[in-house]
Order: sequence, then C-alpha cells, then structure tokens
Amino acid sequence: MVRRVLALPTGRTAVAILAVIALLAVLGPWLAPQDPLATSGNTLGAACGSHWLGTDYLGRDVLSRLLDGSRVSVLGSLEVALTALVVGVVPGILSVYLGRAFEWITLRLTDTLVALPFLLFAVAVVALLGNGITQAMLVTGVLVSPLFYRVSRAATLAVARSPYVEAALISGASLGWVVRRHVWVKVLPPIAVALAQTVGVGFVIVSSLTFLGIGVQPPAPTWGGLLASDLGYLSQRPWAPLAPALLIVVTVWACNLLADAIRDVSGEAGRALLNSRKARANRRDQADPAPAGGA
Amino acid sequence: MSPLSEKLRTPADSTLAQSVLSVRDVRISDQAHGREIVHGVSFDLTPGRTVGIVGESGSGKTLTCRAALGILPAHFEVTGGAIELDGRDITGLSAAEWTGLRGSTISAVFQDPASYLNPSIRVGAQVAEVIRVKKKVGRREARGQTIELLHAVHLRDPELVYGQYTYELSGGMLQRVLIAAAIAAGPRVLIADEATTALDVTVQAEILDLLADLRDRTGLALVVVSHDLAVVAQLCDEVLVLRQGEVVEQGPTHEVLHRPRHEYTRLLIAEHEQYGLDRFLTPEEDL
Amino acid sequence: MSTDAVLTVEGLTVHYGARRRRRRVLHDVSLSITPGETVGVIGETGSGKSTLARAVLGLVRASGGSIVVDGEEAVGYGPRQWRALRRRGVIQYVFQDPLRSLDPDLTVADSLAEPLLVQGVPRAEAAGRVRAFLDRVRLTEDLLDRLPGELSGGQRQRVAVARALVTDPRLVILDEPVSALDSANRVQVLQILKELRDDGVALVFISHDLGSVAGVADRIAVLYRGELAETGAARDVIAAPQHPYTRLLVRSAPTLHSAPADRAERDALRALLHT
Repeated sequence: MVRRVLALPTGRTAVAILAVIALLAVLGPWLAPQDPLATSGNTLGAACGSHWLGTDYLGRDVLSRLLDGSRVSVLGSLEVALTALVVGVVPGILSVYLGRAFEWITLRLTDTLVALPFLLFAVAVVALLGNGITQAMLVTGVLVSPLFYRVSRAATLAVARSPYVEAALISGASLGWVVRRHVWVKVLPPIAVALAQTVGVGFVIVSSLTFLGIGVQPPAPTWGGLLASDLGYLSQRPWAPLAPALLIVVTVWACNLLADAIRDVSGEAGRALLNSRKARANRRDQADPAPAGGA
Repeated sequence: MSPLSEKLRTPADSTLAQSVLSVRDVRISDQAHGREIVHGVSFDLTPGRTVGIVGESGSGKTLTCRAALGILPAHFEVTGGAIELDGRDITGLSAAEWTGLRGSTISAVFQDPASYLNPSIRVGAQVAEVIRVKKKVGRREARGQTIELLHAVHLRDPELVYGQYTYELSGGMLQRVLIAAAIAAGPRVLIADEATTALDVTVQAEILDLLADLRDRTGLALVVVSHDLAVVAQLCDEVLVLRQGEVVEQGPTHEVLHRPRHEYTRLLIAEHEQYGLDRFLTPEEDL
Repeated sequence: MSTDAVLTVEGLTVHYGARRRRRRVLHDVSLSITPGETVGVIGETGSGKSTLARAVLGLVRASGGSIVVDGEEAVGYGPRQWRALRRRGVIQYVFQDPLRSLDPDLTVADSLAEPLLVQGVPRAEAAGRVRAFLDRVRLTEDLLDRLPGELSGGQRQRVAVARALVTDPRLVILDEPVSALDSANRVQVLQILKELRDDGVALVFISHDLGSVAGVADRIAVLYRGELAETGAARDVIAAPQHPYTRLLVRSAPTLHSAPADRAERDALRALLHT
C-alpha cells in the first residue's frame, strides 16, 4: 500500500509536505528564533530582518509563535484523528459482525453524539476532566467519531455479504482473518478521505476552543489561535493572517492529497490505474475486446 | 380476435411477403479505435417470421440489433451495407424520425428487465405512459389499454400487477411487463436480446412461449438473440451464427441443426448433445 | 444410506426469519452423496436449493434434521465447531458468480492460497501447492499475478473452481457452475469436473436448468417449494419424470430438437402447478 501510494506523484507530494510539517512539529520550538511569549514595544510591526513575519499586537515575533505552536496544533489534530479512529472506526467495523445487540447500542450511541450540542459537550467534559489541550482534543475526536463510525460501517456492510467473504468463511476463516484480509482494504480509502477532512477541521476547532478558553490557554500559541488573533487586526495588518492560514491550508491540502492517493491506489480501480500506466505502452498495439459487442 | 391483434397486423395481411426488417451486409465499426467489429450481416424478416442470432458475448450480435434500433453506443457507426425498416432506409434518419419509428415500428426487450423500469413508479403507470405518448390517448384510456396488454402477456392478475412496483415482481413478470411496453404501440418487429438469459429455465420457456404466441396471433416479426443455440432453435425459422463479428453459418434452423457446415456451429451442437438434455431424448422427437 | 457417504442429509428443515415472519424454506429434505458421485440439485429461484447448500456449509442454521459431514453430525454445531470442520476442507463451494466470489483486490495467487493459509499451511508451501495445482484446471502460471478483473470469464471460473480444489476436498458443491460461460469454456469446465469425479471427488451441481447438468449428473434431485419433489437416476428422472414440476422442467429446458407441440403440454403443466 505504502509503495503504491508513493508510486503516484500526488502521493509523493503529499507525503513530502506532511513530512516537512511533522518535522516542524518536532523541531518547531527549537527552531523558533525568539521566545514566542516575549512581548516588546514593537507592536503590529511589519516584516523586517529580526522579525521575518513581523510582530503581533503584543509585539511578539510571529514566526517564533508559528513555529512554537506547530507542535501543539499538529499533535492536537492527530489526537482528534486518532480518537475518532478508535472510537468510530473500530465499532463501525465490528457493528457488522458482533451481532444485533452491539449494533443497536453503537448505532444509538452515535445518534446521541450527533445530537449533542458540541460546545456544551466540550465544556462539560472539560469541567469533568480538567482543562487542557488533550481533553479538548479528546472531546473533539469523540464528537467527530460518528462520521467515522458511519463511513466504516457502510464500507464494511458493502463487503460483509459479498461472495468472496463467504468463500473465505467456507474455507474456515475466522472473523479476524476476514477483516484483515478482505474488509480492511475496502474500508481504508473512505476512512482516509474522512480522516483528511477531520485533520483540517481539527485545526479550526482548536482555534475556536481557544477562543472560549478551552484547551489551549491564550498566551500559548497555536496555528488556529494565531489566525484568530490576527483577524482582529486586519485593518492595521491586512496580510498578517496569511502565514498561519497558509500553513493550515497547505497541511489540509496535503492530507486531502494523501487521501486521494490512497483511494486511487486501493481497490481494483487503483490496481487497474497503476497497471494501465505500466502496461499502456506494451498493450497499445494489442487489441482489446469489443466493449459492447455482445450481451 | 383480441383488440391487441387488431392493432397489430395479422399474418394474413397482404404485406406478408414484404420484409419489415431487411439487413443487408451491415458492417459496424468502432470509430474510436478504427476497427470493424461486425463484418457484414444480412437477413430479411417478414411478418410472423423469426430470425435467430447466436453468438458469444463480443460476437457483435447486440451491436447488430442496436444498429437496427438506431441506438449504437458512442463511437460506433454503421460503415457499410443498409438497414431497411418497413421499406424505409434508416441511414440519415433524424432523432425525431427515430423516436417516431421506435415503439411503433421496431421495439426491443433486453436482459435484466429491472434496470429498464423505474423502481419508484408503479409498473402499470410506466406502460401506460408509453401508450399515452405513442398513441396520444387520455389517462383513463391508457390505463384500460395497459391492463389489456398485461393480460395479453399472460400476467395472471393484470389489475394487481398494474399497481405494483418492480421489487414486488419476479424477473419473469418484469420481463412480461417490458414485453407489454414494447408491443404497446403495435410494432412490426420485436427484438429480444438475451431477454431470457437471466431467468429460470421454466420462466424462460414461459417467455419464449409468449413470444411465439404473440408472433402467431399478431404477425409480429421477431429477432431472437441468444448465446444459447437451443433457445434460438425453439422458435426461429432462420438462424445466424455469429463469431467475432463474422457470420459463420446462416440458414433455415432445421438445416443448421442437422447439417452444420462450420466447425463452431458443430461445437455448439455437440455441447448440447454431450451435456444437455438431448442426450436422453429420443431422436424421433425432432421430426 | 451407504455408510461411506461423504455427506448425508436427513429430514433437513430450515426456517428463515423470526417469530411472525418465520418462513419455512426447506422441509424434510434427505440426500446422500457417496465419493465419485455427481448429483444435480435442480430447482427454480426460491425453491430452497441454495439454502440446502448453505445449510450443509453451516452458513444457515438448520431447524431440524441431520447433516452428517465426513462422519460428523454437524446440526447443532456452534460457530467455532463449524469453523474447525470447514477448515479441514472436506466440503468446498464454488459460487455462481466467479467475479464476485473472488476478492477484486487479491491476486489469483493470493485467492488460490487462501483456503490453505486459513488451514495454517505456511506461505511458501501454500504457494508451491497452488503452483502444482494449476495444471489440473488448465491455468497458466502467468495468471497468478493478475487480479480477477483482468481475467476472462472462463479463466475466472476456472480460478474459482481451482480455489475450491486446493484443499483436496471430498465434496465440491457448485452453484450454476457453467451457466455464465460460453460454449468453449463450458465444455472445458465440465471436462475438468469430470476428471475430478473420476478421482473420487463427489460433486453437487446446483442449477435451475435440468439441461445444464443432465449430461454430467448420475443422480438428480428436484426441489420444489422447499421440498424434494423427485429424486432418482438422471436417466430415469429425465426420461420418465413423475412430479408435474419435473415434467415441466424437462419440457422447459431448451433442446435443439424439441417440437413446438411441447407448448401445449407446458401450458397444461403450468395450469396444474398453479392450482
């Protein structure tokens, strides 16, 4: 799967961008040229030699804040995605196999989650578990999990009753075998697409929660938080939101690109695509059978 | 005589000798790849007669039928020969002229009847719509004629079937409904392209019997297309055996079955004799 | 019933649905198959022929009767016991639609090896056994890396048959094995199955068309509305059908030389069956 994704130019691009962003997340705090929390008199300053991206309304260096905030932002998004995977995908696949009771309970639980007002739930959980980025992201992950539950359940249902799954069962395969060997490959692409969307949504949710004082506390920088505070000073520094926005957009775009690549290479369509690329040259003169010649 | 047969021509009609569908050395090419797929098919069909086309998938049998219906897929074109429908050359017919011809002169039923019906509309209403459009009659009149048609295709309870949806009907019943829709406007030619392939063998026999019955009662001319020589042998006067776009054998059914000239036809026959029911049936029966 | 039967079904009854929607789909069906025997199970859609196969494979639960597979009474088995029984590979099944019964994402080699891998055969050994097997089903090694979508219909059906044979089963159940194939491929698949039978493997052909199995079956069992309408030697069932439904089947199967006079007989039989 990995090799097939990397065989596509889009897959390579996506992986390269995401690698750079992961590097930023790991090294960001050390790369930051200045203390991201240090204020100065030079408020809302333009870009210059010492402040490459200028300063914010408290005179803090924007570049340093972006770099320093990348770890929290990326980790936060990953946490959202991971939580959603565990809380959504696993029950989604199992709901098809573990019998009526499990199916009914998980279906009703996801319905409940969808019906819950997001902010109310977030505030309640934070009140219960304490305030922090981990708790906030956990909440977000749980709240987007119905999407993953639905997607993985639908994809599993589509293969669960297919003859090839029955063929495997007739050969004596266990449920674990069937899921690993037949179901997973078909469920992965739609989940990858949903995951890419969620990572993007994650950034925005981090920032909106920051607004409410949930999760990340104000002086600590995040990409979403930077975007939000920059938006307040558009009249003085109209170009300021560009840097954090660009980072978010590029990350989300790379995630989507990766999801597309995964979708393209998985399934029969994907194999056919790669094969046709490889074999187009030597098959060109070899006549295909008539597409609509008979019934 | 039922009202249905009055709408269609009777075999005693004076046009008996005149062909309703005449296909002369028709060649069909795939323009996208610049290849000829069908290399010359000819046959003549007069009212009350049946021509059978036998071949595997990809042999060009469906393309030939589609050419006669004016519904060749994109990139496919008739590149040689001529098709005459009820004495009229079909080359250069406009879309509007085709719409006029289809249904009232030539009509067709295909495999998988369910995909030709809208699952969310009652099947009777869909047949009635054909009648309303083709015959320009009112709703009530169309309904009455539809019930009549459903009766004519031997559906046991036409009133009930009229109000049912596709999922409530079996494959055989759906195919009957489609045959009803196909003959609604009183066509001269009906093409049955693998129309019984997906059906149980007893249901297949019912549909084939129905087609034979319609032909005998109304003088409808039939083109029966199948991959199974035995299906075609059931009701055809003349058989064409197609292979890779080439007519390898053509002649009266009896001739082809008893004195096959081409090796491929012999294979088709041998297969039936070796594995099919023929092995157990006494030879007297074919006389 | 002979004691060396591969499969003995007695008084098998199967219901679908629960409580008020409970329907009987199979009632009191008895059938026994010995090694090297070929039995045709004939019936229309909804006659219960597929249910019979699924019950024998443990895919649907029998509500009564007995199924003895390879000397083991399997009615009342739980999922785990069924899995153990299936894993032995005594009974295999070939689906009607070979395209859909092969995972579109697995290569031919992977699909063929699956029943062996499930049994716990090491990967390398499984691959070797698959390779050694290809010849018997007229497949060439270059097909092993292909996906089902890249095969012709005949090749696909042969892969589906091969998949059922790699575990050296004693009984193979085939659901409409040749109805989707054209003549040349049909003859080839039937030839393969004939060789299999000569090796002592028992075969069950499930079909709606008496004609498609007439030439290969030793015995024929006709299912009608969930019950066994008739069973007997193929020759007898075809030449002198007893049950009206069997008579209709014989008269409905398209043959090269049947006379149009059959039409009246068919109509009479249909009228008889529908009252």
